[in-house]
Amino acid sequence: MQHKIDVEQLGPQGEIMAHAIEACVHCGFCLPACPTYQVLGEEMDSPRGRIFLMKEVLEGNLQMEEAQPYLDKCLGCQGCVTACPSGVPYGELISTYRGWSEPQRHRSPFQKLFRIGLQETLPYPARFRAAARLGRLGKLVQPLLPPMLKAPLELLPEALPQSEPLPEIIPALGERRARVAFLAGCAQQVLQPGFNRATLRVLAQNGVEVVIPKGQSCCGALALHTGERGRALQFARTNLKAFAGDYDAILTNAAGCGSGLKEYPVLFHGEPEQAQAAQLAARVKDVSVFLLELGLKEVPPLKRPLKVAYHDACHLAHAQGVRAEPRQLLRSIPGVELVEIPEGELCCGSAGTYNLEQPAIAATLGERKARHILASGAEVVVTGNIGCFTQIQTHLKKLGRELLVLHTLELLERAYAQAALQEGPS
Amino acid sequence: MNPALTELERLFPPGRLLHKPGELVPYESDALTAFRARPLAVVLPESHAEVQAAVRWCAKHQIPYVARGSGTSLSGGSLPIDGGLLIGLNRMNRLLRLDPVERIAVVQPGFINLQVSNAAAPYGLYYAPDPSSQPVSTIGGNLAFNSGGAHCLKYGMTSNHVLAAKVVLPDGETVELGSESLENTGPDWLGLFAGSEGLLGIATEITLRLLPKPETYHTVLAAYDSLAKAGEAVAAVVASGLLPGAMEIMDSLAIEAAEAAVKAGYPLEARALLIVELEGETPQVEAEARYLEEVIQKSGAYEVRVARSNEERLKIWKGRKAAFSAVGRLSPDYIVQDGVVPRSRLGQALQAIEELSARYSLRVANVFHAGDGNLHPLILYNGRLEGELHRAEELAGEILKLCVALGGSITGEHGVGMEKKAYMTEMFREADLAAMQRIRLALDPQELANRGKMFPGETPAQSFHGAHPLEKAGVISRE
Amino acid sequence: MSAPPLQPTSAAEVQEAVRTHRRLLPRGGGSKPALSWPHEGQTVLDLSGLSGVLEYDPGEYVFVARAGTRLAEVEALLAQHGQYLPFDPPLVAQGATLGGTVAAGLSGPMRQRYGGVRDFILGVQFVDGEGQLVRGGGKVVKNAAGFDLPKLMVGSLGRLGILTEVAFKVFPAPKATATLLLDFPGLEGALEALYRLAGSPIELYALDLQPPGTLVLRLGGLPEALPARLEGLQAFLGRGGEPLSGEAETAYWRSLNELNLGEGALVKVALTARRIPALEQALGQAPRRYLSAGNLLYLAWNAELKALDTILQAQGLSGLVLKGATHRPQIGIDLGQVMGHKVTKALDPQGKFAQEPYAAQD
Ligand SMILES: Cc1cc2nc3c(=O)[nH]c(=O)nc-3n(C[C@H](O)[C@H](O)[C@H](O)COP(=O)(O)OP(=O)(O)OC[C@H]3O[C@@H](n4cnc5c(N)ncnc54)[C@H](O)[C@@H]3O)c2cc1C
Ligand code: SF4
Ligand code: SF4
Repeated sequence: MQHKIDVEQLGPQGEIMAHAIEACVHCGFCLPACPTYQVLGEEMDSPRGRIFLMKEVLEGNLQMEEAQPYLDKCLGCQGCVTACPSGVPYGELISTYRGWSEPQRHRSPFQKLFRIGLQETLPYPARFRAAARLGRLGKLVQPLLPPMLKAPLELLPEALPQSEPLPEIIPALGERRARVAFLAGCAQQVLQPGFNRATLRVLAQNGVEVVIPKGQSCCGALALHTGERGRALQFARTNLKAFAGDYDAILTNAAGCGSGLKEYPVLFHGEPEQAQAAQLAARVKDVSVFLLELGLKEVPPLKRPLKVAYHDACHLAHAQGVRAEPRQLLRSIPGVELVEIPEGELCCGSAGTYNLEQPAIAATLGERKARHILASGAEVVVTGNIGCFTQIQTHLKKLGRELLVLHTLELLERAYAQAALQEGPS
Repeated sequence: MNPALTELERLFPPGRLLHKPGELVPYESDALTAFRARPLAVVLPESHAEVQAAVRWCAKHQIPYVARGSGTSLSGGSLPIDGGLLIGLNRMNRLLRLDPVERIAVVQPGFINLQVSNAAAPYGLYYAPDPSSQPVSTIGGNLAFNSGGAHCLKYGMTSNHVLAAKVVLPDGETVELGSESLENTGPDWLGLFAGSEGLLGIATEITLRLLPKPETYHTVLAAYDSLAKAGEAVAAVVASGLLPGAMEIMDSLAIEAAEAAVKAGYPLEARALLIVELEGETPQVEAEARYLEEVIQKSGAYEVRVARSNEERLKIWKGRKAAFSAVGRLSPDYIVQDGVVPRSRLGQALQAIEELSARYSLRVANVFHAGDGNLHPLILYNGRLEGELHRAEELAGEILKLCVALGGSITGEHGVGMEKKAYMTEMFREADLAAMQRIRLALDPQELANRGKMFPGETPAQSFHGAHPLEKAGVISRE
Repeated sequence: MSAPPLQPTSAAEVQEAVRTHRRLLPRGGGSKPALSWPHEGQTVLDLSGLSGVLEYDPGEYVFVARAGTRLAEVEALLAQHGQYLPFDPPLVAQGATLGGTVAAGLSGPMRQRYGGVRDFILGVQFVDGEGQLVRGGGKVVKNAAGFDLPKLMVGSLGRLGILTEVAFKVFPAPKATATLLLDFPGLEGALEALYRLAGSPIELYALDLQPPGTLVLRLGGLPEALPARLEGLQAFLGRGGEPLSGEAETAYWRSLNELNLGEGALVKVALTARRIPALEQALGQAPRRYLSAGNLLYLAWNAELKALDTILQAQGLSGLVLKGATHRPQIGIDLGQVMGHKVTKALDPQGKFAQEPYAAQD
């Protein structure tokens, strides 16, 4: 699409945005893939509409505030990226745009406080743990709170698991087949330490030595996707250092963190660390991809056949194009029957902090997802992302159906350990 | 706020009446972004009654309006009218009835084409018209544009598969056109409505015919070292007496783009790809396949592949169907053309297009429904380069004139809309256009419905590139 | 009858006729007399002199012909190149013309395979009520420019304009055909089989129901595939039926084309299979045949047309009398609606082609 964006004035970030807008031919193929368009049915809340809005703002034809409500509603799920035949890098566009627009935005003091609160807690496991404890107290007074505060509380578990400090090196069991670095993630460490435990065990069992480099931080995705580019850069610089060593791969077990690391080249576009960022990004792999490439050690058959639905986390499927590998991994567990979730490409509404900032849409999507999962006839739902995990669990529960929800690696771990899969959430 | 708008506010709840700049901007174009116009407001009706109310409001206040489905028109068909009302039908997207026994589906206009086939699939049925935009375009838009697709050679276009429609006429009256029968005992009013590009009314309920899915498909992909050879192969298939379900050609630029978009596994070095698909009962298709193989062998294809599974077949088609948008990877801008030439003139037309492309020094990618002689030259240009758009438009015009000169048409399926109205006079004489105009005026004396489209010489909409002459003259303005 | 018929031999003469006459009724071959029987004050315009195929290129699947061209002539020409009119128009031997077939909107049994006359017409040229020569559509198999006037003329009964030229899409004819007659004990069984067939991927050229309980199926395609397909069809139905092939088969369908169903008026009814049981109850002894999976009924009515009109009204169906003494060939429910009235008046403002002169206030 034609544009008159003043790229000179906007600099390297402007180049990224202009390139994306130019690639859009306004064909609308992304509409059916966009969760907000599906729910809201308005052109402003579609990828094509948002691209148009951003273009107009960047060209100076439209007040930023006019476009903001619709851009805020974007989940960043990148369903549109998968659907787009023209190869529009929408993910890069929206992140960059948010980084560009955030400093110029007027937000109410309350909103500011809320956002700062999120930015200052979620990426830091210790702080998040403390906040979550407080939040549990908050649950008592939840009915009295405004929706903006209610949403996060709903997603908190009843009880927080024990914190488990992670060792720096986890040796391979048996012959060492590979040596990798692992990004431990932030919120997931607090909410679901079981994810990391299972991941590390399965890796060890498969002969992988795992290093959890000290000094790593949050990947910065949360900050980047909410327009806090400065903060994101800070995190990313820390990680560039922490993961500089020589590893066979840098692994993540959270879709959002994986795609966050892979976005470093865009984040650093025009910065001195650009090349280094590209190098790091090239080595990042989701643990499911890595295990499949490595060759999974034989898994003993399940005690009974099990219908498993694999939920595509957007940041795996759409942002990283990882769809087949986790499925193949699950299929290599004898006894697992994989079922597909209808409308599986559509986001569950979790999307990072989205369900905190746009609770109504997030809830609609969450319920829609939960219903589709139930329709699939699955006994267990498996996913590769903490956000999806929480969202799906919450909404299944709201529908009164407590299906077992697991991380992909948790299912694998249980299969290796021959543990029962019928019991409730760990 | 303007008093008429206040009245509209009473008809539509806040979320479904859009009039702030941020709400209007995304509606300013359809898939032809060379044109833009800002409507006064957008309404999103959810029922027949609301469509009728909106149309009545337009009639009362003499405000022109445009209906919009998914806004994928490639000819500016759903381009709004400056200061007019845009009636967005995408929320009227329910399947009202699916009767597998009678093989019909009744849908609201915003229902998506592909969803019809999806809903019918469990019964072994499908909806035949398959425009490449089928995952996104609406049945309402398809009906208004009589959209076609790759599989129209054998079973026809949208209008051959729509049985009935409930229509709000431009004065707000409702009529029911057609019936569930394939036959009729009077004039074919529905036939007139189909393809009338939104000028004769808004369809709010559409009855579609479903067909049983063919038992077998036999999909052949043949690679050629020249476009001409592929074109001749099509003629040879036709001459052999075979009637394939689809015959499509893509040239090297289109192949490159499609391959980049969906990794269909096309042979990248080919100068032209021919896709031929046979469909039907297995013994018949098997017998036809033998003849087809002979014809293709003789046609000088240097590589021939046959889809061995449904996945392989779908992959071949996915590449073809993504080709238009995928060309966006090759160029920041392009114009999609939609001319038709007699099949026997395909080679000649392609040759001429190649020459024109060289003369204008603009790349032209070709993707076309070869079986129908329906060409889709995609003219690649960069609108940021001074004068390039103008050159591209001139080239597009030359191609259209060429099609008419060869005895064809200026549009096979994308419609006239905004883009090709100036070329209507190439195809029709004054008396022909006058008769059409009389029909239109009989139903819409104020020319409210899709004003400025299809008929040559009416007020052009806002062009994206630079100010409109009226704007320069201070007659109209943009915010 | 008022004036003797006019016999134009060119479009210009048709224009002249329209300009100089108050009320006109076009007639092609006269094979559907109920549609070309003039009212008081109507002058008959005999178009049989406006004849001849103008363009035909078998490689295009397209031909253009003058409206008065006889179907027989067209079919013979097409057959030379292994092609045919897929909508299978009736009354070929009775001298039906292209224009008359379009204006009456008539298709035959083989419409089942690829569609009816509306699905194959590509272009028209006609003279409107003001004597203007109007062209619509085109001469290529696909065309989306302008309003679809060709489709509009299908079934227009000469009331929207006088057709002077038509363009059609054609298809390669099946290289071999075979027919299967199946007797069912009653209507119910026959209808059930009809529905099963219509919903199956079996591609029939004809799917007729001859009441009370006979299905007549026609297969077409490559000769080498036909035996296997016939067997498949019999297996699908679980019965052998009575196969027809060769000359007997061709003769069977040729004779049906004449629609000599029985004594009385020949009437066409548009319907769907769902309506058949109720209609069967009402129609009594009238000889009849349902075509194209129950979408089309031709019947011979040897009683007052008023009675048939009442039956059709009660069933919510519309009919068209093709042969028989009537000034009101359209029977059953009134298909008129405001869009139709307005468009008719747009093309024929003075009512030159109207059945009745326009009322004064119109
Ligand atoms: C990538 C791409 C590929 C395409 N491929 C094809 C193809 O293969 N074949 C083809 O034929 N077209 C194709 N098109 C063109 C386009 O998709 C079709 O014209 C389609 O029918 C438009 O549907 P829509 O829902 O987007 O309608 P819109 O663009 O929203 O509207 C189209 C026209 O229909 C009118 N309209 C919409 N709804 C109604 C209604 N309910 N009642 C009356 N009028 C209405 C509008 O006013 C407008 O004039 C393609 C487009 C794109 C972008
Ligand atoms: S699919 Fe891609 S090119 Fe098409 S409108 Fe959406 S983002 Fe733009
Ligand atoms: S990222 Fe997701 S929500 Fe945002 S525009 Fe794309 S598909 Fe829609």
